[in-house]
Amino acid sequence: MSAVLFFIAAIGVISGAVGVVVLRNPFYSVLALVAHLLSLAVLFLLLRAEFVAAVQVVVYAGAVMVLYVFVVAYVGGESDSLGERLRGAGHGPGASRLRLGGAILAGALLVELLIALLGTGLEAIGGYGAGYAPGPEAYGTPAYIGKLLLTRFLLAFEIASFLLLIAAVGGVVLARRRGGLEDEDGREALTPLDLLRPRGTGTMAEGVGRRPS
Amino acid sequence: MSSLALVGYFEPWWIQVIKGIVIFAVGLQLVPVVLIAERKLLGRFQGRYGPNRVGPYGALQPLADILKLLTKEQSRPSTSIGLLFAIAPLISILTAVAAFAIIPFGDTQDIFGTKVGLYGVDVSIGPLYLFAFGAVAFYGIMLGGWSSGSKYSFLGAMRGAAQLISYEVSQGLALVGVIITAQTLSLTGIVTAQKGMWYFIPQFFGFLVFLVAGFAETNRAPFDLTEADAELVGGYNTEFGGGRFASYYFAEYLNVLVVAGIVTTVFLGGWLLPFGIHPPGFLDPIVVLFKMSLITFLFIWIRATLPRLRYDQLMSFGWKVLLPLATLNTLVTAIVVVATH
Repeated sequence: MSAVLFFIAAIGVISGAVGVVVLRNPFYSVLALVAHLLSLAVLFLLLRAEFVAAVQVVVYAGAVMVLYVFVVAYVGGESDSLGERLRGAGHGPGASRLRLGGAILAGALLVELLIALLGTGLEAIGGYGAGYAPGPEAYGTPAYIGKLLLTRFLLAFEIASFLLLIAAVGGVVLARRRGGLEDEDGREALTPLDLLRPRGTGTMAEGVGRRPS
Repeated sequence: MSSLALVGYFEPWWIQVIKGIVIFAVGLQLVPVVLIAERKLLGRFQGRYGPNRVGPYGALQPLADILKLLTKEQSRPSTSIGLLFAIAPLISILTAVAAFAIIPFGDTQDIFGTKVGLYGVDVSIGPLYLFAFGAVAFYGIMLGGWSSGSKYSFLGAMRGAAQLISYEVSQGLALVGVIITAQTLSLTGIVTAQKGMWYFIPQFFGFLVFLVAGFAETNRAPFDLTEADAELVGGYNTEFGGGRFASYYFAEYLNVLVVAGIVTTVFLGGWLLPFGIHPPGFLDPIVVLFKMSLITFLFIWIRATLPRLRYDQLMSFGWKVLLPLATLNTLVTAIVVVATH
């Protein structure tokens, strides 16, 4: 049963990953990535990492990819595909330097992955997953992961949190500098104070962007 | 058997198969009941009779609706994308039924000497399972709107996407307060932790935030901008007809039931009764269904009462009112739990 599931999920993972690269339409590429991530979640489930599987779906398929789909559906639909545009860029100025940089980065990634793969001696492929142990703090449960995050990996956890916080604040600052977060036509947004507004006021005026003071 | 981890639960496989069938059947039977209840109640709220022609008291109306939808031609616009157009309603219905599986209808019972939990699965990740399927449900709406090749559908789907992202955060944070108090993620564990007091009293703000976010997540009035019929004809499902439209319809009402079930489980004590009454175990599902019907009635009541929000109101309400409230609730709960522990 688990072998069948493994092969179905593995085929999904690989075909999804290939699809991201091969498909011409960016929208289908994103959908292939979603399929890839969902199949990966199934693989995590087979390894009894229920929490990781759920987080994989919630965070990647549910939040990150939603934004991808959102943007591609809005901006996409251009006649020339992504591949053609990239090929067009291959003739522009500085193209040879770009190609060289791409090759170096790809080589570095390959070396890194090979070190990671060969460093484990490929033991994980031949081994079993974690044993099934019911209980609140068994391997892979949220309690177990939470305890590890707050004791052994506290520093890494905090650094990652700060990195994300900086990225979020930076995103807001950049968007504001480009004028993306201005209030349109001076319309006031709903604030918690508006909850204290007397009943029956401001309904019609709100519709035209004004509010009785 | 294989070199991979074996999937092992304490229940034999045939019980799981039977449970799967029973849960799907219960969901399938509940949806027409909610349909007729909604149409009847909306009629009463608006000073009219509601459906009263088909069958006694109009009770067979949903049957007629479903028959009509299933026998209709499945048309699709020439601008649509065939495969995605066919898959999208399937995704919606699949995620709705899957989410229904974690609602606990009762404690583990002894049935013919075998211990059976009256729930589909009691996953150790509890609410995260729900959010995972909620995340996938987004693709049902989004792909349906996008593959229709129609402006109305596309706008509806886009609104649905933005709304879902905005309110999922508050919904998750509202549940964190409960999880901190109960100190478990398992939904049956959360129910048994409510033996002393149902969580809607100590977690009242969490309850409110979860309920409001639940209205938004299920695209119900006053947050039904995804299918605002005055502006968008029907939103993401404009171009769908026949069985595919029925699938979307089914998924929407099943999602209402799922939210009602989760509210019942997490805030209203699940199968527990107040004042220390302990009914026999076989009454547990009836208690849960009764509480679920109360929440569903609230859904219908609010739909009949409140007008639809404007789109910017929806967004600023989600981010500027609901999210700070949910965060504050989580913080205060954490402090109180640590202080009293």
